Amino acid sequence: MWSGGAAIFVLVSCVFCASALADGLVNEDVKRTLDLSSHLAKITAEIQLANHGAARVNSLTLALEAELAPHLAFIGTVFSHVLKPFPSHITQAEQQLVVFQGNHYLYSPYPTRSQTTRVRLASKTVESYTKLGNPTKSEESIEYGPFKDVPPFSQDDMKIHYENNTPFLTISSITRTIEVSHWGNIAVEETIDLRHTGAYLKGPFSRYDYQRQSDSGISSVKSFKTILPASAQDVYYRDEIGNISTSHLQVLDDSVEVEIRPRFPLFGGWKTHYIIGYNLPSYEYLYNLGDQYALKMRLVDHIYDDQVIDQLTVKLILPEGARNIHVDTPYPISRSQDELHYTYLDTFGRPVLVATKNNLVEQHIQDVVVHYNFNKILMLQEPLLVVGAFYILFFTVIIYVRLDFSITKDPAAEVRMKVASITEQVLTLVNKRLGLYRHMDEVVNRYKQSRDTGALNSGRKTLEAEHRTLTNDITALQTRLKAEGSDLAEKVGEIQKLDSQLKDLVCRSCQEAERLVAGKVKKDAYIESDKTLSGKRQELVSRIDNLLDAL
Amino acid sequence: QILAVGSKSWLRRNIGAEEGAGWWQEGCVAVGSALLTKFSRTWRSTTPPPTSLLSFTILFLAWLAGFSSRLFAVIRFESIIHEFDPWFNYRSTHHLSTNGFYEFLNWFDERAWYPLGRIVGGTVYPGLMVTAGLIHYILNLLHVTVHIRDVCVFLAPVFSGLTAVSTFLLTRELWNQGAGLLAACFIAIVPGYISRSVAGSFDNEGIAIFALQFTYYLWVKSVKTGSVFWTIGCCLSYFYMVSAWGGYVFIINLIPLHVFVLLLMQRFSRRLYIAYSTFYIVGLVLSMQIPFVGFQPIRTSEHMAAAGVFALLQAYAFLQYLKDRLTRQEFQTLFFLGVSLAAGVVFLTLTKPSLPPLLRYAKIHIPIIASVSEHQPTTWVSFFFDLHILVCTFPAGLWFCIKNINDERVFVALYAISAVYFAGVMVRLMLTLTPVVCMLSAIAFSSVFEHYLGDDMKRENPIKQHPFYPVKNSSVYSKLIVTMLMLMLLMMFAVHCTWVTSNAYSSPSVVLASYNHDGSRNILDDFREAYYWLRQNTDEHARVMSWWDYGYQIAGMANRTTLVDNNTWNNSHIALVGKAMSSNESAAYEIMKSLDVDYVLIIFGGVIGYSGDDINKFLWMVRIAEGEHPKDIRESDYFTPQGEFRVDKAGSPTLLNCLMYKMSYYRFGEMQLDFRTPPGFDRTRNAEIGNKDIRLKHLEEAFTSEHWLVRIYRVKKQENRQALDHKLHVGNNPILTKKAKQNKFRN
Repeated sequence: MWSGGAAIFVLVSCVFCASALADGLVNEDVKRTLDLSSHLAKITAEIQLANHGAARVNSLTLALEAELAPHLAFIGTVFSHVLKPFPSHITQAEQQLVVFQGNHYLYSPYPTRSQTTRVRLASKTVESYTKLGNPTKSEESIEYGPFKDVPPFSQDDMKIHYENNTPFLTISSITRTIEVSHWGNIAVEETIDLRHTGAYLKGPFSRYDYQRQSDSGISSVKSFKTILPASAQDVYYRDEIGNISTSHLQVLDDSVEVEIRPRFPLFGGWKTHYIIGYNLPSYEYLYNLGDQYALKMRLVDHIYDDQVIDQLTVKLILPEGARNIHVDTPYPISRSQDELHYTYLDTFGRPVLVATKNNLVEQHIQDVVVHYNFNKILMLQEPLLVVGAFYILFFTVIIYVRLDFSITKDPAAEVRMKVASITEQVLTLVNKRLGLYRHMDEVVNRYKQSRDTGALNSGRKTLEAEHRTLTNDITALQTRLKAEGSDLAEKVGEIQKLDSQLKDLVCRSCQEAERLVAGKVKKDAYIESDKTLSGKRQELVSRIDNLLDAL
Repeated sequence: QILAVGSKSWLRRNIGAEEGAGWWQEGCVAVGSALLTKFSRTWRSTTPPPTSLLSFTILFLAWLAGFSSRLFAVIRFESIIHEFDPWFNYRSTHHLSTNGFYEFLNWFDERAWYPLGRIVGGTVYPGLMVTAGLIHYILNLLHVTVHIRDVCVFLAPVFSGLTAVSTFLLTRELWNQGAGLLAACFIAIVPGYISRSVAGSFDNEGIAIFALQFTYYLWVKSVKTGSVFWTIGCCLSYFYMVSAWGGYVFIINLIPLHVFVLLLMQRFSRRLYIAYSTFYIVGLVLSMQIPFVGFQPIRTSEHMAAAGVFALLQAYAFLQYLKDRLTRQEFQTLFFLGVSLAAGVVFLTLTKPSLPPLLRYAKIHIPIIASVSEHQPTTWVSFFFDLHILVCTFPAGLWFCIKNINDERVFVALYAISAVYFAGVMVRLMLTLTPVVCMLSAIAFSSVFEHYLGDDMKRENPIKQHPFYPVKNSSVYSKLIVTMLMLMLLMMFAVHCTWVTSNAYSSPSVVLASYNHDGSRNILDDFREAYYWLRQNTDEHARVMSWWDYGYQIAGMANRTTLVDNNTWNNSHIALVGKAMSSNESAAYEIMKSLDVDYVLIIFGGVIGYSGDDINKFLWMVRIAEGEHPKDIRESDYFTPQGEFRVDKAGSPTLLNCLMYKMSYYRFGEMQLDFRTPPGFDRTRNAEIGNKDIRLKHLEEAFTSEHWLVRIYRVKKQENRQALDHKLHVGNNPILTKKAKQNKFRN
């Protein structure tokens, strides 16, 4: 099947498999590329494979050197932490040199006919490199080979010592928390421990040199870019002691770019810790069919280019009441025990899925799909809880205000309250009665102009009628006051007395006006008497007022 | 409303640059002036039901205005703990909330005062931490997942609302409802109180002023009613105050003073007797429950007045009792006997070794206390700045109170007089003056409004001729003018309060901000940069030496061990650090070695012109060091022969070679900040530094923040000298041999 010499990229499992050796597979032509230009070693091999055996071959085996195997992050093939800084400690002014130790040959269970190896470096400066087969070195790369007829599992140490000032940043641990709310929001928070894993800084850190000389601390990390999803909102970047004010946010068409600048530049061996978080609209990531929901999110997202994550913990917080949870991961990941998370207005807790994985790189930025069932009725729970709480609060207030909780009865207080309410009524009635007189005055004035006796008489009648009812009411209240034993009753009685005088005055002024209209009195005399009458009235009113105030 | 708009535009003209926060200010001013306008409107309603709703609304608005005007720092910066002491409070609250109450009470902090450590549980007033911890606990119990930091940041603004309510209650007891509301509005926004209670200022005073006012309210209430119920309430409130702030001493002296003056004024009553006897006994027992206070209430002189008055009251009551039973002759004999006995007791008390209060105030002259700016005497400017118009009106209120005196008004008069005295002694105690000023001013304003804004009906027939206003039936115009004038004053007050709060009291001081020519803002986050560097990139048990000002911040933000901090309990330890800072490098190295110092942290403002840096504080370090080590450090050595303190070439050589100078200016001599000035030009002191060629032998620069504000030096470990061939050379020097031996032993 494979005999036509199909070129493939290596993509399969790396298990040593003895049975594979029985096949007649031969690597016809191999072009290896070692990309050492960043802090990762990315090895790609373009292999032309031929089957010289008789049997069909369904699979092939890819082998890995035993030394490199623990560092394998992704079969692409990416290795983390294989570039070792040498010297391991440098001063601020020095360049960072690293050593790569690998294999000149393709490590393969099959014999290889012909092979070339191309190594891409980060800079022109190369201290030393192994000279197998007289390699050619150009600007930033070294070409090895071609090597002919290499037997299976052949190894020959390749060692390259060169300058590499690219940021050797490693995320020693990251906890990514995704909290799904069915009210339209997905909150993402990443807690990150970052470390510069290049050559350690030796001796002092001089800010002066760092600010004034461009090549000082060239391997240090000042800032890097994190690319967040385009719909990310409310981005925050902080740590234990508050907001990190040295960041910048740029909203682009297809993404949101955060320029993450740690509080201080990261030199070799220095570390920092921060939290970055943002909100996403749920309609972009949450799909549903009836009660069935599916959340499709990135298991791990971009933090910086060529990222290396030593340890990842993902926490997926689903809404309270999510059931039948099922997770589809793009690559195997170890699940821990589910947890419960309580936040605003939760009663029985939100299910939290916890998963961990070690040694991840950029290629691991892939989607995870979580299926679960959620009864929509449960959405009402939280608003109802708030409503219920307020209901109880107001109800308690009502109960407290309306009912008497005192242990001892205080008759005096009750009487006082009763008296107060009666006095209140007296006050309004008396004021109303005073209002009647004012109204009568107007009627009289109008009469003086219009000389309409009918209007005056009807006005007088209504005054009499209303006055009587009001006075009766007040008298009734006065008797009630007396019954309660209050001394205010006397004062009310006094008011009544004064009022009857006042009413007489009003009536008299009314009669005077009639006499004036009828021509029985001269105008001067009328004015004179009116003045005295109103003076008296004024005095009475003020005395009533005084009494009212004393009530 | 027109006035409110006018004041807003006035404000805008004044502030200009701070466009970002402008809306906030306007909002605050609007709320403030709306409150005052609303207040004057509510005046007319006399019937109870609408008034209670209105008072509720006004109090609620006062709370809201007080809360929101304290948020400037949060809006401009972030939710962060301010300044120095709050960082310690925050750290201990954090400890409390993570480890529980008993763990907190027994907390021995080995990160402070290395190598001595500090028993935190027994040396703090725990009220603040317990309050914040309790709120956090309850909220978390209800699944409101707030961070303890946010609880701490917003605690003081929330409590300012409670202060407003308790001030309302107290003023209502003293005068009337209207004055109470006015007082609540005043205290909500007055700068004198805001200065200690902005969001992020997580300090004892934030909750203590509430406790103070509430205790006084309950005290007045219990004197008025003579009910044990109110008195027990007063004791509980007093207990809370004792647990929150050392200022409780003010209460335990003012209340006895009140009782004493009432006795002098022949105002003794059963009510007073019940109130004070209960208060003294229960309050005493409760206050002794706080570990930090312990037996102080029966030992120290500050508490003796209370005990004396207690005894006096008992004697007085007893005499009153006897008076009813005995004849005049018998009574006189007994009286003399009693007086001589009392004199004997007083004599015995005085001979006991206790520090008289006068000596305590003399403590101000100890350099470590004098070096704190908030312990300086108050200037007239700061009275006006913090209280504005209230400082002019409160004597009028006091006069009204004295004019119509009763038991509780005696209290407020005493409160005012003593608080004025204390505020004059120390800027810090302005805080205790503020509430009483608000109350008395409210009474003054309230009386004026009562007269000029009274009901129309009443105005026609003035019932009671007020003694203060001889003009009968003042005309409508004069009323209008007076009212307008008063309203204008209140409006100006609201504007001033907002302006002061915004400009003077809303800086976290941990984060600095500078403004460019175009109004954009630069944040200088150097403190946190350096502290976070310490936190992340030094050994967990590294010991950091710095001047004591930064001790709490280092412990809180960097989580590293410090030698001295703001709890300045050990003067000689601080003097030792001061001595290290002011000695030359090799002498300092010996001290640092003996104290196991790994890093030295200093603040240097020369690059950006920050005036609060260590060189400016340096003379205090020298003075404090001189106090303990007069042979090694002499203040005069750091001055020029002319008696000047200068950092340039003319400066004294001792200064130019001391550790602090070297660390501050290390490699600064090469730095040219701009083209008009020479290299090594210090912007804070406006001088070219005198020693540009600084070499450090025992220290190396470990970290310097972006604007050089914080510089951290690593103390180098001793070189290993145990190689054999070196032994001959060092053999001549006995000290070096000893060291080599030590090293060998260690290895």
